[in-house]
Amino acid sequence: MSHLINTRVFAAVGLAAAAATLAACGSSSNSSSNTNTVKQLPLKPGESPSQQQMYNGKKGGTLQVYNQEDFEHLDPGAAYFSVDYEAMYATQRPLYAYMPNNDTLAAPDLATAQPTISDGGKTVTVHIKPNVMFGPPVNRAVTSADVAYAIERGANPNIGNAYFGPYFGAIVGAEDAKGKVIANGGPIAGITTPNPTTIVFKLSSPTASLLVGALSLPLSAPVPASFAKPMDAKKPTTYGSKYVVATGPYMFKANPKTGEFLNVGYFPGKSSVLVRNPNWNAKTDPRPAYLDQININVGGDQTVIGRQVLTGTNTMENDTPANTIVKLAYQKYPSQIVFTPGAGDHYMAVDNKHGPFKNVNVRRAVWAAIDRTAVVRVLGGTLVAAPMTHFIYPGVAGYDQSGGASGPQVPWNVNPAGNLAVAMKYMKAAGYPTGKYTGSATIQYVGENAPTATARDEIGVQALTALGFKVHATYVDQATMYSKYCGVPAQNIDACPNVGWIRDFADPQTVLYVPFWGPGIVPTNNSDWGQVDDPKINAAMDKAALVVGDAARAQAWANIDRMLVDQAVAIPEDFDFQPNIVGSGVRGISDIWDIGTWDYSFSSLK
Amino acid sequence: MLTFIIRRILWGILAMAIVIAITFLLFYLLPSANPAVLRGGRNASPATIAYISAELGLDKPIYTQFWDYVKNIVLHFDLGYSYYSSASVTGLIADRLPATISLAGGAIVVTLLAGIPVGIVSAIKRRTFFDRAAMGTALVFVSAPIYWLGLIALYLFAADIGRFRVFDGSGSYVALSTDPGRWFGSLILPWIVLAATLAAVYARVLRGSLIDVMGEDYIRTARAKGLRERRVIMRHGVRSAITPIVTLIGLDVGSLLGGAVLTESVFDIPGIGRLNYDAIAHSDFPIVQGTVLLAALFIIAANIVVDIAYAYLDPRVRPS
Repeated sequence: MSHLINTRVFAAVGLAAAAATLAACGSSSNSSSNTNTVKQLPLKPGESPSQQQMYNGKKGGTLQVYNQEDFEHLDPGAAYFSVDYEAMYATQRPLYAYMPNNDTLAAPDLATAQPTISDGGKTVTVHIKPNVMFGPPVNRAVTSADVAYAIERGANPNIGNAYFGPYFGAIVGAEDAKGKVIANGGPIAGITTPNPTTIVFKLSSPTASLLVGALSLPLSAPVPASFAKPMDAKKPTTYGSKYVVATGPYMFKANPKTGEFLNVGYFPGKSSVLVRNPNWNAKTDPRPAYLDQININVGGDQTVIGRQVLTGTNTMENDTPANTIVKLAYQKYPSQIVFTPGAGDHYMAVDNKHGPFKNVNVRRAVWAAIDRTAVVRVLGGTLVAAPMTHFIYPGVAGYDQSGGASGPQVPWNVNPAGNLAVAMKYMKAAGYPTGKYTGSATIQYVGENAPTATARDEIGVQALTALGFKVHATYVDQATMYSKYCGVPAQNIDACPNVGWIRDFADPQTVLYVPFWGPGIVPTNNSDWGQVDDPKINAAMDKAALVVGDAARAQAWANIDRMLVDQAVAIPEDFDFQPNIVGSGVRGISDIWDIGTWDYSFSSLK
Repeated sequence: MLTFIIRRILWGILAMAIVIAITFLLFYLLPSANPAVLRGGRNASPATIAYISAELGLDKPIYTQFWDYVKNIVLHFDLGYSYYSSASVTGLIADRLPATISLAGGAIVVTLLAGIPVGIVSAIKRRTFFDRAAMGTALVFVSAPIYWLGLIALYLFAADIGRFRVFDGSGSYVALSTDPGRWFGSLILPWIVLAATLAAVYARVLRGSLIDVMGEDYIRTARAKGLRERRVIMRHGVRSAITPIVTLIGLDVGSLLGGAVLTESVFDIPGIGRLNYDAIAHSDFPIVQGTVLLAALFIIAANIVVDIAYAYLDPRVRPS
């Protein structure tokens, strides 16, 4: 239940080479000491975007964006990647959307107000603005039927939506009693549109809170059935790859008569051009949309891109800068970089079902042994990461309730730099009298072969080796790691370091449910990498999923977080902060609700 | 001669078939990502994965997949579709090829313009300051990784990030048909960088070869006949000495047209090399297969041309 973030967010936030320098910028973290906490490097004014001024920007101008990664999907029904979201929230209007500096409550976007929840959490009613127009070539007002079609097509296999089942499956008629999606892109009984500005969702279970959260995802952005339906009948649809219709302030430059944007405003792997949507009505939208045009260049060397941005004027990078560029920006262009907390977390998934890690005390021992401060140093220091102490990460509801930065004060968690004596105590409790593993198993350890990832994964190997384990480490590319090894339970992988799951929206369920809910284990593409299947945790999750109300949900999921820590279901590594850079002439506004990427609809030229 | 050419072409086709088989096999033998999972995304259900596998034909036996693949190439020149974007591989290659041809063609011209004169002069004026300076510089360029050389060139001369803002920098490439002036300007630095290494090799090879040739009896004979030194060098010396260069050009043109991956990446030129690089990063096998086949095709074709050129340049290898 998490959209894919830029792969390099995890892979290249920092590198060992940058670590020392960044630390020297003022960090007082001390790797060799066994301190209970790691002191955070205080950010200078402007470095953290949580207090950013979103309005009063200058109108007009063209922004030049340099990204190394291209978009994956530009169909709002399929987009599920941080780079896709940059364009998605500038060109489309879902029912709800987060303001850049709010990571807790989505504001009405196409909707007129917050939804009405009734029938004990089984009915959600949303009213939409009557005067929002589709861009060319459709050129008509959006109706609730367009929103209904947009969501219904999420179940169409030709679209390839990745989250319809988990978030929209509770709508009556979407899934059968066994939880299998039976909708196929046609009308869903539980979605009705009593009038052109009202849409009603009837749910089979009282899970309105989760559905409401999901209405901030791009799937709820209206799609005109008359235009898209013929395309959606094809495998795969050409809506989003060749044609697309905008509702947001911007649109991909396209043929105004046909809506074709492929090779007009989007050149795969090369560049894109976003221009103003002529049908956008500013009075209906909280987004100021200062820029006239956004040119996005794709590809190139990351260090070159970074320098182009930092030495440029109207320039921006909207994926993760190279570690050397983060260092350069921090030292020489401090006003052109921000660091956003809440960019996710990483941990080592360990097999809870088989092998040595089946024993909770062995897992606690590894947790106690691993040097999380070393992981932070490898990533580039305390500007870009912090030691992970539990599973709900900063910025997600329930983070404070589950212990905040220091996390639960259990013996295996209180030493971020690792404590072998504590670890050995738990190994003894697990039945190894010497405090070290004496069994015959060799740990099958599969990590990613990117330089930073491998360096951080070695820290996990060190912890295991220190506890007497023999480790057979294999490093492959990230996609292979997930799809061939860590996501396939039959492969019997004991440990997969550097995995993580980021939120889709503020609700903590989106962070914990998929990677730790036992019944969700599947033979392929499994995201419960550690095969965590604890009946008590499963039951608590099932119960928490039905809790209504933000505060109550935050507490309920914080309690589950505490259970996960108690069972040491995975070995924590780091909380991520996302660095972002702009040119000297750009006032970048960062989306703290996502992973901190720049928001095209709020950023402006100086 | 015709028989010779036909024989070479048939060998070339056999080589292509072997390349297709090896590339296909490697994809299955080496650990690589499951394409259906890649396309389905991290949250896709097993049913979705199965559906995508069937759509991509991944549920068929490997020999059936291979046969389908070969059949599509041979009968329809269809290289399949990208696992990620569903774009036609043939279309993607056609779209990227002009940039690669621009880069490779210009780089070869610069290589020849720089490498051959330097090689000749160094051979004729060997052990002079020029010779030592030229060969020393060549050694530096041969030793320098092209990726590093490209970055240094950008940091020194690129219009946006350079110390001396002379040439267009990374990401400035435009198609020839769009703006010939900007096309030329955007490629000057990549041409120079790519040619630096190649020209250095050519100069060193030609120098060595020409020194050997200039010591041959027939050169002494030509001089004894009273021919002008320039004619002796160019007509009798260089013509014989240049055959190794022809071999190198054949290999280099082929591999450059297959994609100068590093140069295209550093200078953000949307060519075949970058397409291949991105495809490898995403385990997008149809694109990797397509670009590898293209590279093999170019190398084989270039070698056939070289063999024919050899026969023209050197009567000793001309088929009877």
